[in-house]
Amino acid sequence: MKQNGRFMVGLVGVAAVVTYLVWTGVSDTMMYYMTPTELIAKIDQDPTFRDVGVKVSGRLVVNSHESEPGSMVHRFVIHDTDDESVTFPVEYRQPLPDTFTDSPDMLVDVVMEGRFDEAGVFQANSVLTKCGSRYEASPEELRT
Amino acid sequence: MNVLGELALWIALPVSLFGMVLGFAGGRARRGDLTLSAERSVYAVFFLSVIASLGVVDTFLNDRFEYWYVANYSSRNLETFFKVSGLWAGQRGSLLFWLLLLSCFAAIAVFSNRKKNREFMPYVAGTLLTITSFFLVVLLFADVNPFEKLTFTPADGSGLNPQLQNYWMTIHPPTLYLGFTAFTVPFAFAVAALLNGRLDARWIVITRKWTLLSWFFLSNGIIFGMRWAYEELGWGGYWFWDPVENASLLPWLTATAFLHSIQIQENRGMLKVWNMGLVILTFLLTIFATFLTRSGLIESVHTFAQELKIAYIFLGFMSSILMVGLVLVLYRLPRLKSDNQIESFLSRESAFVFNNLILLGATFAVLWGTLLPLISEGLTGQEIAVGPPFFNRVNLPIGLALLALMGIGPVIAWRRASRRNLVRNFLRPVSVGLATMLGLWIGGARHAMALVTFGLAAFVMTIIVVEFWKGTRARARIEGEGAFKAFLHLIARNRRRWGGYIVHVGVVVIFTAFAAAPWYQEFLQTLEPGEVMVAESPLGHTYELTYEGLSTNIRDLERNLDWQVTALVSVQRDGEPLGTFTTEKRMHMNAEQMSTEVGIQSFPLEDLYIILADADLGRILQGDAAAQSVTFTVMVKPLVGWIWAGGLILTLGSLIAMWPSAERLRTASSTGRAGMSGAEALPTGD
Repeated sequence: MKQNGRFMVGLVGVAAVVTYLVWTGVSDTMMYYMTPTELIAKIDQDPTFRDVGVKVSGRLVVNSHESEPGSMVHRFVIHDTDDESVTFPVEYRQPLPDTFTDSPDMLVDVVMEGRFDEAGVFQANSVLTKCGSRYEASPEELRT
Repeated sequence: MNVLGELALWIALPVSLFGMVLGFAGGRARRGDLTLSAERSVYAVFFLSVIASLGVVDTFLNDRFEYWYVANYSSRNLETFFKVSGLWAGQRGSLLFWLLLLSCFAAIAVFSNRKKNREFMPYVAGTLLTITSFFLVVLLFADVNPFEKLTFTPADGSGLNPQLQNYWMTIHPPTLYLGFTAFTVPFAFAVAALLNGRLDARWIVITRKWTLLSWFFLSNGIIFGMRWAYEELGWGGYWFWDPVENASLLPWLTATAFLHSIQIQENRGMLKVWNMGLVILTFLLTIFATFLTRSGLIESVHTFAQELKIAYIFLGFMSSILMVGLVLVLYRLPRLKSDNQIESFLSRESAFVFNNLILLGATFAVLWGTLLPLISEGLTGQEIAVGPPFFNRVNLPIGLALLALMGIGPVIAWRRASRRNLVRNFLRPVSVGLATMLGLWIGGARHAMALVTFGLAAFVMTIIVVEFWKGTRARARIEGEGAFKAFLHLIARNRRRWGGYIVHVGVVVIFTAFAAAPWYQEFLQTLEPGEVMVAESPLGHTYELTYEGLSTNIRDLERNLDWQVTALVSVQRDGEPLGTFTTEKRMHMNAEQMSTEVGIQSFPLEDLYIILADADLGRILQGDAAAQSVTFTVMVKPLVGWIWAGGLILTLGSLIAMWPSAERLRTASSTGRAGMSGAEALPTGD
């Protein structure tokens, strides 16, 4: 019985440690994941939210990508996937992934992490684009 | 062939459903004729899946772009090799491919048990056919039929994503799928055991090789995926905690737990409910992984709507399995009682239970982190996401605890470990571990977690080496054999145990490789031709990279290239020339995006990784001689090669453990009793 008791302490211990790790892990590293519309609405409501790091998913505005060769600074504009009128500019200071293509022929969905600076430009720390293997064209696009 | 292929799918569904009913009915009525028909249905479904798969391959090889699937994943000038692999390139084909592998394994399971274990077979066939029926329903009714036609015939297909045109990417998904589908067999035997009431270790003995086979494929599939990411994605990493990667890790974690806990049921007659739970959970996670890999459910909730139908079918199927599993386990609960109790906190049973709890803890943490966006959106309306920092933070201590148990488990005594047992077995390995940490600390290594990992790795390796040494010495003395012969015979005599230890060696090597991550170095620099950049390695080497210049290759029809920009870099290591490396950006014909090819030079202790990060491609492709400056990312990554080496060791170990041995086949029917006497008789491997 004594052994069983000790054993239970061990089991509860493992569960407690894992729960603690997950709990603190989430609260220390979590990010809000928003659409541009949600993010802008949230900032209008609560201006301090501007300084909170967030993850945003949106779509690249065609022909908005500019970069200064050699300086590694990329600037582009993102709009909400569902509402093209909601846009904001982005700045990113690292090499872009290959999947990032600014071309009128395709829709590029972008997921970024970062925050707005004083000038209202979204400073991205990471830029991911939607994985190509899951990009499937509609029949109409194949007609050409 | 294509028409025949689609027809085969439509025939397979009724055959599969009918066989399923016959199987369960045959089991209930104890009628061998019905069981036989069910088993023949399994063969028939396999045959029909082969026809359907050949049909899809045929549409690819003949450029039948009127088929939606071919139009989306192939093009005229795609290499034949990749046309064949088109079968699993996209969602539709891979669901059929899943069915093909599943029905193949089902047929093997039925065939190999045609003369034995007959009391399980009606339910096994019934369960297997339930799963094949599910995939047939999905293929035919969830808008994912690979034989769906367009209303017109495009002149050419849109081509295969260039990142998928890679050797590793071609073998990585099938290997994972082999792992996922192989686990259906243990699940089917578990369900059969619950239904026919034979709840001793028999079903586990029958299926333990299947479990190991599944685990073997899962491990390799995951490692191939890492290799692909490392070579092809051009970021210099190999694991990103992406939902799709996590999905393949989850069943691996629970299958690993199951492989360990079945030994307790075999040897001590305990944890019966727990093992049932694990086998059901692992099977559910393989289905979940297939679903997640091919639906984009997590990646962004906004794309969910497109896949609604298939998502509901999958979720419905998974909850049915969960419910049926729960009901069956509750129904059989009285017969799933343990034969024994855990006697001591310090025992091998206890170490195995902790191993299981920790693996499940990791499963829970990874699942939670992966599903958090969905859960938070559902509960609060606000999506919350966590990334690699979360997963690394949570899994690091979990991994360390597992590593420690990997050393403790093999040498701690069953039932109750004495103080003498502990001192005798652990004094030396613990000292070696501590000495390793001290040595590395003196050598300048300062990352606490990495030091602990290296120390634990040394501890585990010492234990394994001592075990091999003791076994070999004993055998050499008793049998009068030479050391090498004794060593080989030792392994051959108990393949499962020693194979398991070799797998542990592989895992330790991989963990050691992970622990080197804090020392990864990255250098970013823009160079003109002739300029040099320097990369310092944490091991004290100096790499000097000279940018020699660019070459371009435009519209190379033979190689299917729209354009290709290659940077030439010559490298010296500590003043010794290593040769010239290339790194390039290229655009394939019909491709939507360019791809980067990296230059990698591997040494035993570190990799040099050269990426063409940025260049003014527009001007370069116009032939502007002034636009030759290129930005390079150069990484020095210690011990990355050890991941692949560890993977090979792990493969070797699992092959040894799986290899059929005449001896074991003979004794298989007599094991499964609880409380065997004499520690020597206990199979104690992985």
